[in-house]
Parts: sequence; C-alpha cells; structure tokens
Amino acid sequence: MLKILNLSNIFYWIEKLIRFINSIFFILLLVALSFALIFSPPDYLQGDSVRIMYVHVPSAWIGLASFSSIAILSIAHFIFKIKNIKLITKSIAPIGLMFTCLALVTGSIWGQPTWGTWWAWDARITSMFILALFYIGFISTHKFISDENKANKISSIIAIIGLINVPIIKYSVDWWNTLHQPASIKLTGESSIHSSMLTPLLLMFFVLILYCALIFLMKYKTEIIRIKKKNLKRL
Amino acid sequence: MIQNFLSMNGYGLFVWGSFAITFIACGLLYYKTFKTLKKYEKDFAKEINELSAERKKIVIENSKIASQVLSSSSKTI
Repeated sequence: MLKILNLSNIFYWIEKLIRFINSIFFILLLVALSFALIFSPPDYLQGDSVRIMYVHVPSAWIGLASFSSIAILSIAHFIFKIKNIKLITKSIAPIGLMFTCLALVTGSIWGQPTWGTWWAWDARITSMFILALFYIGFISTHKFISDENKANKISSIIAIIGLINVPIIKYSVDWWNTLHQPASIKLTGESSIHSSMLTPLLLMFFVLILYCALIFLMKYKTEIIRIKKKNLKRL
Repeated sequence: MIQNFLSMNGYGLFVWGSFAITFIACGLLYYKTFKTLKKYEKDFAKEINELSAERKKIVIENSKIASQVLSSSSKTI
C-alpha cells in the first residue's frame, strides 16, 4: 500500500492518467455541449437562458467540493503531518478558486435576464463570495509566506475556518429568504429536475470534473518536480 | 434555424457569454498550468545535465522521477 503512495509511483501514474484524460476529453466535451446547447429543451419560464445552468451549477459544485476537500485534507495534515497532503491541497486550490469565480460570474449573467439584476447581496451569493475570499487567502499564504511550514500552518487554519462557510452556502436557500430557488437535485430523496435537463447537467459536470482532474494532475506533477529540484540542490 | 440557435430566443448574449467565459477561463488555466509544468521539467532536466557524470548517474539510478523527466525532455527536444 505504502509503495503505491511513493512519489515515484504517483509520478508514473500521473503521466498515464494525463494521457488517458487527454484522449477522451474532447469527445466527451462535444457530447456534453451538444446536450447542453442543442438537445435539452428550453425552460417553460426562463426560456433558453436556463442553459446557463449547465456551466453555472457544475462550477458551483466544483468550487464547493474543492474547498471541502482542501479543508478535510488540512485537518488530516494537522493530525498525520503527511507532507504529500499539502501538495494535494496546493494543487486543488487554484482550480477551486477559478470555478467559484466562474459560478459567481455566470450566476451574475444568469441573474440579469431572470431576476433583472446582475448582483444582489443575497445569502447564497454572499456566502459564495466569501468562499472566493477564503480561496484567495489560502493561495496567498503560499504565494507570500516564504517559510513553507508557516505557510502550511496558516493555510490549513484558513481552510478549516472556511469549512464553516460550506454548510452555510448549501443551506442558505433554506435558512434565509433568497433570490435562489431551493435545491432541485437531492442526493437523498427525489430530485425535482426533469431528466431532459438532468442529463446535460450531469454530462457537463462530468466533463468539467475531468478537466479539473487534468489540471490537478499537472499541478501535482509540477509540485513533485519542484520538491525533487530542491532535493537536487541539496546534493 | 442557425439564426434561432445563435439568438437563443433573445438570450443568446447571456448563454453564449456564459459558455465563452467558462471556456476561456478553463483554457487560460490549462495554458498557464501546462506552461509552468514544462518550465519546471526543462529546468529540472537542465540541472541534472549540469551535474558531473558521476553525480548524474547516481541521481538517475536513485530517482525514477529524474530519469522520467530526463527521458520526456529529451523526447521534446
């Protein structure tokens, strides 16, 4: 088991995975885009503007999931002190920040034709905005603090504090009166979204997850090389 | 038909704008990540090549990563 966790083995598998994702990515992207832009029907109320959902919702899910993983891995780092964990969280953070910003921007674009405004300080949007700030804080510690141990500690604390914001984002639509509708897709219980819209949504989510995996693997590989480069200098 | 598809019944600017922003951002992040990775690989390979023959041999024998980076960088050259 520990042999699998060895950086050399991880490096070998990263190379293979990057090649595999590259080989299937564009075909899957074309299929997902066809469903999102051509085959899925317009909404009876929102018309074709509902198609923005196919980039907005997966972006928000990825933003939230990335931060949750960073926070959970940061807790694990505090307990087990495994250096590899910090490489993983550092590689996830830029992806999470980009998708959180995309969720905010595409949400703003969707808000104009739907609500008649580009921006409102409602609970869901504000909590997503705070999530972006936590991401910026996390990334900045690694950028501006040269002492790696200190940067790791501070960024872990930021991630753990930021974890409080995740359930606030999730349940903000239930706890407060917001412009956002309650969740249409539930992991437990019946979803209220029709399959003709659920299929393109899940396809787009899958494609964007593959994209995230690709970026994560490249960033992780860069981090491994950075460490090896440092070790080489010590020789 | 194409006109209808592009205009999205009056929502074209919003729909295409959202998709365009998403894919431009994804493309830029991919480009930046790819470029950084290649830069690190090139620098690492260069540093190994600058070592004395004896040290280089030790590094390659002891580090699978070093040998992989060296072989991939020689392929790109």
